Amino acid sequence: MEQGDELPTIQKTITQAQVELYAHAAGDFNPIHLDAEFAAGARFGGGKLDGTIAHGMMILASISEMLTYAFGERWLAGGRLKARFRGPVYPGETITAFGSVKAVNERDGAREVVCAVGVRKRDGEVVISGEASVITQTGSE
Amino acid sequence: MTMDYAQLQAGQRISQERLTLDAEAVGRYAEAVGDASRPTAKDGTPLVNPMAVGALALSAVINALKIPGGTIHAGQELDFGRALPIGAELTCTATVAQNSVRREWRFLVVSLTAADDAGNAVMQGKSTIMLPTQTS
Repeated sequence: MEQGDELPTIQKTITQAQVELYAHAAGDFNPIHLDAEFAAGARFGGGKLDGTIAHGMMILASISEMLTYAFGERWLAGGRLKARFRGPVYPGETITAFGSVKAVNERDGAREVVCAVGVRKRDGEVVISGEASVITQTGSE
Repeated sequence: MTMDYAQLQAGQRISQERLTLDAEAVGRYAEAVGDASRPTAKDGTPLVNPMAVGALALSAVINALKIPGGTIHAGQELDFGRALPIGAELTCTATVAQNSVRREWRFLVVSLTAADDAGNAVMQGKSTIMLPTQTS
């Protein structure tokens, strides 16, 4: 991979059933994800929610999935991710995980690929932004 | 019982739990997030999706802190040390890194470490969560 290369995107439509599955799988039963009455009007940053929202970690998983497709086992062993959750994702919305190579650092035979990554909604709103890095070659290879 | 979040101090341990990444737990996670990647090692051994480790480690924090409804996950850092086979057993430890109040939110930064039985960290991370101050 070289600077400027785009990563393969991942697109998903989030459903309330999937949010409920995630709540059970990850043990996170915060009512903003599960209880429409509680969620409507709950605060998110400076605004108010319109209803239940997906768990941030559930949406972040699409970035990890994209990085697994792009880098394989290298992502699992030595991958780093730093992300900010910027906005809510409501059931019924379609999200796209995206990324591009920001820099390739080479030193002593090792190669690190640094990517700008994020998740956006169909209307272009970026709901997660961040950076990931992967060691694609160690100095001993 | 409500927790007094103002009393949480940097360095304080929140939880330490054993985590077994068996096929059922990992499969349930992959199904929930709709992850079809199913990573494998070069020899074909099925590997754990690294985000599953982060999500399940975070679940211990949510339980231990009795996170109030309305809590928002604001940021996440994860650093994966090595690929893990299905069935791996880890010890997940969470400690308070920062605790502060800004406007109507309490910001808790929690450090997460998942280590194998030899004590090697296989995942490290930081979660930033925002708790509504009227409940925290």
